Amino acid sequence: MKQPVGHYAYESRDREFLQERIAEFEDQVKRRLSGALSEEEFKPLRLMNGIYLQVHAYMLRVAIPYGILDSRQLRKLAHVAQRYDRGYGHFTTRQNIQFNWIALEDAPAILRDLAEADMHAIQTSGNCIRNITSDEYAGAARDELMDPRVHAEILRQWSTLHPEFTFLPRKFKIAISGSPEDRVAARFHDIGLLARPSENGPLFRVFVGGGLGRTPVVGQELFDSVPEAELLATLEATLRVYNAYGRRDNLYRARIKILVQTIGIEPFREAVKAELAKMDLSHYRLTPERVAAIRARFAAPELHAVDDADAVLAQHQKEDPDFARWVQSNTHPHFDEGYSIATVSLKTPGDIPGDVTAEQMDGLADIAERFAFSELRVTHLQNIVLGHVRKDQLYALWQGLKELNLAAPNIGLAGDIVSCPGLDYCTLANARSLPLARKLGARFGDARLQEEIGALSINISGCINACGHHHAGHIGILGVDKRGSEFYQILLGGQAGDHASIGAILGPALSEDDAVAAIARIIDHYLAHRNEQESFLEMVTRLGKAPFKEVAYETV
Amino acid sequence: MKRLSHLSPDECVLLTAARLLDGRIVWRGQDGRWFDRVAQATCLTAEESAAALEEATAQAARQGVMGVYPVVARKGAPPQPVSMKEHIRAFGPTVHPEFSYAPQPEASS
Ligand code: HEM
Ligand code: SF4
Repeated sequence: MKQPVGHYAYESRDREFLQERIAEFEDQVKRRLSGALSEEEFKPLRLMNGIYLQVHAYMLRVAIPYGILDSRQLRKLAHVAQRYDRGYGHFTTRQNIQFNWIALEDAPAILRDLAEADMHAIQTSGNCIRNITSDEYAGAARDELMDPRVHAEILRQWSTLHPEFTFLPRKFKIAISGSPEDRVAARFHDIGLLARPSENGPLFRVFVGGGLGRTPVVGQELFDSVPEAELLATLEATLRVYNAYGRRDNLYRARIKILVQTIGIEPFREAVKAELAKMDLSHYRLTPERVAAIRARFAAPELHAVDDADAVLAQHQKEDPDFARWVQSNTHPHFDEGYSIATVSLKTPGDIPGDVTAEQMDGLADIAERFAFSELRVTHLQNIVLGHVRKDQLYALWQGLKELNLAAPNIGLAGDIVSCPGLDYCTLANARSLPLARKLGARFGDARLQEEIGALSINISGCINACGHHHAGHIGILGVDKRGSEFYQILLGGQAGDHASIGAILGPALSEDDAVAAIARIIDHYLAHRNEQESFLEMVTRLGKAPFKEVAYETV
Repeated sequence: MKRLSHLSPDECVLLTAARLLDGRIVWRGQDGRWFDRVAQATCLTAEESAAALEEATAQAARQGVMGVYPVVARKGAPPQPVSMKEHIRAFGPTVHPEFSYAPQPEASS
């Protein structure tokens, strides 16, 4: 078989392993359905296979390692959506996909179907090292220093079923980027890695103890320059310190961020160094040969840019202002002058952020095949990236997306809303988040208005677990429950990336309609009073939250 | 959840659970059987609900349901669970009207 572009080609032993896992789970499901296993006994087993029990049905979370899919896999997901679910799937901020309406008895068959396309639900749940996330522009961005996916794969292999780390105090999330601009929210992960090349091979800047949830914390730098050879040993030592000291008595305090906060970064670093000193480093050494062997299993796209690509693109843009607007917001510079990185917005105004129908999945698979080497990337902001598109073909690509109703020109703008499923689907929720996402999406849906507002992220979570990253949004919204009614807290000034910060709560929670109106007034205030070229976030940083608070609560 | 001892006269208690096979939400109705329409749920007084809950929990595994618990609802056909969470469980996700559990025209219990 031809190797897929952009992700690791499975070997036969990987496939055998998946089949064994499925057979084992099938047996467990049978025993559950016959009553031989109680729900208490079965729950940890189903969670290990990505099956949750949600509000309306079982939910299946499928792993998309470092966010990379090929067309064949996306078609398989479309098939699962069509045959076993209700014709759609929901892409999440952890670069996974969730199906919300699964029957338990179908679960083994679904896993079998997924395995045909080398997909599975491992590392999507439980207190293990979760699916490792990576930069959605990996291997394509002009500003990239090195492709992080090779090391993401190395980490995946190291962490999958690692005997020491399958029963951690809590789940553990790692993200890796190879670009100077942190596009993976490295400082909001348990461990965040920023890779860069050097004369003596790759170096890794390691952040530790970041996270959102109940206790949002910006991660701190643990080491500035870990050499490639010592990467695995360093991570293993960090996890060992956590595993040994992390609190298991209180669920909410068991994350590494709490440990680092409690003992302080300096003592934590010393503990990691002490652990490293005890380890046999040669056992963990990543040799250049080993890295090369993994790299060889990633096929690179064969780029053949045409000479006049820029001129053709410019002509298309001139002829069609709607297309020009989309190029402006939804493309990113590729390392090859003749190519572009295109982001497909899954935030069509008025639709549910991250939801994709089976027809759209099939359509996207076709488009990726025609224009992007059959490779797609799921982003942590719930969109899809096509990594390598010829500039002269962008127009045809955009027309294809329009037919699928996936051509919203809003990446990084007000309509590009991140939202968790909230009370409509999630058993842990305090309030609904999707109706609010829809209302705001429709309110700011107008492309011209969004262009005028400029860079703005609105993130919504239905409870304190923060799956919608509300602390990291320029405008964050958190659903709370007040005596059985839904209310919403507004936060201002959060951001991920190099200047990661946590949004500040503006004031008392508001009803849904009042929250939408308050956000509209906040944005109006920005438009009326911004300095030239000043972004929303810059203005919030300059003025603080007071003036925004005043307008937000004006009429309430 | 609203305390069962503070029901107003137009409120009652329903029993709900999830079906083992497909995770679907079910409501306890006539003869202690489970139905997937809230309209078929039996409206209980707070006193009745305690005994019914005990009985239903004991029979849950045999009846293929799990996680039985009481829900406060306004009486009616169909009964209307008071909290938004239970309203969504009874009538379906508010964002996907096509997936709503269409209320029965008349309660059949
Ligand atoms: C509907 C099923 C879901 C359930 C039951 C659920 C549950 C949770 C819980 C309990 C936490 C907090 C864990 C902790 O801090 O230790 C959490 C965190 C998180 N969830 Fe979900 N979640 C769900 C769906 C989603 C979806 C759809 C997304 C993406 C859109 C998502 C993304 C995340 C992320 C990114 C975090 C980590 C926040 C952090 O850094 O601490 N989850 N989830
Ligand atoms: S933030 Fe809360 S409501 Fe939203 S998906 Fe996570 S656990 Fe559920």
